[in-house]
Amino acid sequence: MSAPADPGTAVAPVTPAEAAAIEHDIRRVLAVGTWLGIALLATGVALMLVNGISPHQAFTPFDLGRVLPDLLAGRAEGFLWAGIVVFIATPIARVLGELVLYVRGREWTMTLVALAILGVVALSLLIALLVEV
Amino acid sequence: MITGLLLLVSGAFAGAFGALLGLGGGVLLVPLLTLGFERPLRESVAVALVCVIVTSSAASGAHLQRRTANLRLGLLLALFTALGSLVGGLVSFLVPERLLAGLFALLLVYVCVTMARGFLPRGRGSATAGVGGGEPPPGAGWSAGSLVALLSTPDYRVRRVGPASGASVGSGLLSALLGVGGGVINVPTMHVLMGVPLRVATATSNLVVGVTAIASAIIYLVNGAIDPYVAGPTALGVFAGATVGARNAHRVDVRVLRGLFVVVLGWTALQMARRAIGA
Repeated sequence: MSAPADPGTAVAPVTPAEAAAIEHDIRRVLAVGTWLGIALLATGVALMLVNGISPHQAFTPFDLGRVLPDLLAGRAEGFLWAGIVVFIATPIARVLGELVLYVRGREWTMTLVALAILGVVALSLLIALLVEV
Repeated sequence: MITGLLLLVSGAFAGAFGALLGLGGGVLLVPLLTLGFERPLRESVAVALVCVIVTSSAASGAHLQRRTANLRLGLLLALFTALGSLVGGLVSFLVPERLLAGLFALLLVYVCVTMARGFLPRGRGSATAGVGGGEPPPGAGWSAGSLVALLSTPDYRVRRVGPASGASVGSGLLSALLGVGGGVINVPTMHVLMGVPLRVATATSNLVVGVTAIASAIIYLVNGAIDPYVAGPTALGVFAGATVGARNAHRVDVRVLRGLFVVVLGWTALQMARRAIGA
């Protein structure tokens, strides 16, 4: 990404090399998120098969506070929930990365768009927690 | 145990064929889970949304590396799809399942017709050539021109941003209600309405659908509609299938597959319609 020169400001715009580095970081976040999520899901599925857990079995609804204890206890459900959470967080991390890119490039319209998306995600979480649908 | 393996295989099937045909896995997954595994429709939708996020995250890195997608356009449309998805996620708990089944049947008919006309592009394998979506146009900063200039590239100029934003809200709503990525609306919106090249539209849609699905997936997750024992094997299968499908897209005669799928989706639409009317 190359930002336009803006002689009216003292802050130097992001250089193509800096933009490329940020884009590289975004790709790395996506790759790490994807493979971490897959590793967690694969472990959870393997534990399901080893322990004879059927998909028809009743499950405990998602509870963030239980994920870590379940993970440490080696329960399938903990790994599956953790994998799902990692996958939900990965595109959010991508938007955050883009936000950094646009802030550094002083592209304020796109900065606002990225912030608005994060706002919508936060709103959906808030509504989900407050309103029982 | 056998059901878990069957979910894994079914997910792989949906992921592979979705990648080969340029469809999101949800179009195939929701009927598979509902009709094949007798899961409630709302739960199937929630699981399909998780799978949409998985495939989008996996493919996004490749699209960014190839610079096929238009990042700015994707981000702008994702804002509107996310808004639609938020509303859809809330509404879905109020809509009777039979109505959802009817809507899904209509969606399948629409996909059948577009596939029969050969409109839908090949999957990720087709989005290989860089079209300059990653670089902004000259003067794309705060001081420069309109939103259109910001979203356009030296290779193409986008148009009708307003109507496309409205269509994106509809895409998000559809995604949240029916568990599909929304590519069936996003791609025609960008390609036909906005004048974006098809391969850029396909790649950009892939970035958009991941963000779209989050807004409603969070609502499904917090309200206990995602079954981890179903979502885990299915998502794993979809990931494996989509990876294999995308890598082999160039080796497969998609015309034959497309014809087969028109028949399969037509039959599935009929089954969903029967469920909708309670037959």
